[in-house]
Amino acid sequence: MDHREARTHLIDRRRGTLDAASRAALETHLAGCEACRHEDAADAELSRLLDERLPRRRAPDSLRRSLEARWAPPTAPRGWRVARGVAAMAAGAALAVVALFLFRSRPPEDPMLTEAVNDHLRVLYSEHPVEVQSGGIHQVKPWFEGRVDFAPVVPFAGDEDFLQGGSVAYFLDRKAATFVFKRRLHMITLFVFRAEGLLWPTVATLPVGDVRGTVESSRGSHVLLWRRGDLGYALVSDADPMDLETLAGKVASGR
Amino acid sequence: MLHLDASSSYDAPALREPLVPPLPRAAFEHLDALFRLARRLTGDDDEAEDLVQETFARAMDKRAQFVPGTNLRAWLFRILRNLYIDGWRRAKASPVRERLGDEDPAAEGMVSGEPLRGDEELERLRSVVADDIEAALRELSVDARTIVLLDLEGFTQEELAEVLACNVGTVKSRLSRARAKLRELLREYAR
Repeated sequence: MDHREARTHLIDRRRGTLDAASRAALETHLAGCEACRHEDAADAELSRLLDERLPRRRAPDSLRRSLEARWAPPTAPRGWRVARGVAAMAAGAALAVVALFLFRSRPPEDPMLTEAVNDHLRVLYSEHPVEVQSGGIHQVKPWFEGRVDFAPVVPFAGDEDFLQGGSVAYFLDRKAATFVFKRRLHMITLFVFRAEGLLWPTVATLPVGDVRGTVESSRGSHVLLWRRGDLGYALVSDADPMDLETLAGKVASGR
Repeated sequence: MLHLDASSSYDAPALREPLVPPLPRAAFEHLDALFRLARRLTGDDDEAEDLVQETFARAMDKRAQFVPGTNLRAWLFRILRNLYIDGWRRAKASPVRERLGDEDPAAEGMVSGEPLRGDEELERLRSVVADDIEAALRELSVDARTIVLLDLEGFTQEELAEVLACNVGTVKSRLSRARAKLRELLREYAR
């Protein structure tokens, strides 16, 4: 394998998508080629830069509304909608009563909710979801020293919610310490950031340890938000919201 | 402004062929990513919106050609990329043509300066900010920018091959060269 072919395969190797034969040939090449090892390290750094620092803007709402008004497929005919609506009404009403106690909804364009879900999805799809692998919370927390301008207070390391590691991300306009947990098949992301200056929910009724927070849902993910001291916390996952509430309580209280 | 093919102008909804299926609602799930690519191709919010509008209009025109069960995302991005190149080609009707990336693939990875080794390049990369990355991306050819950005959006190499109308082997080498070129540019911005 020459340098050119080796460099073509580097990104696949890091992503684990390289076939066994090519991987073996590449490993042999890398073992004896400092230049390609450097290339691999620099390209991995580029991936991290693109993931963390390149803004991911959303399409303007005006564009979305315009396109959907013009090109979205029509909804079901009125008669069917009415029939379906009546059939769903009873079940919907029952669910709504339950949901009323579980979720305090805010407008979907809530920037903190949108950001939390976007950041969580970015972690899920990132080539390197964690920059420091977990050897336990006591190894992950010190890693943030010098990388964020606050000390993330996370007294709970997880039991069933195995801590995978940590990384630094941006939450809106500020840096966030990011902790990634895995609960069964679900990834759970905890963002810790400075709370000051953000548009927090005005009413927080959900008990989170000894403070109060909110739980909301967007695009298939549930987001728990709470504040403690100067820090804000966003816990995001598609796991069961009750499991998230339990984890949030442990993270907040250390119990 | 982009100069796009007049044949892609909107049909009035009432005149649409009733037997042709509508655009799948799933198409709208890709709107943010389409806008991001359009914004980084055109470098302008208004032009990006025009390009995305035109992409949906063209997709509506061609929707009968889309085979349900095939890759809607790749199909949409291929339309956007082709529209941009068509519009760009007309807008750039000058004697000097900028490379699209497929005219001289080997040139994409050419590094003008001496390669840095060891920690120096890594340190420089770590010091770049978002504006540096945006600026460096603008210096890449259209296809190099497209392949880097869509890879970042999570496209598989098979999807990229569909968008760029080439084979997977070509995608691998283009992606590698484009990222090498981007790193080279970022080194310059980090100085």
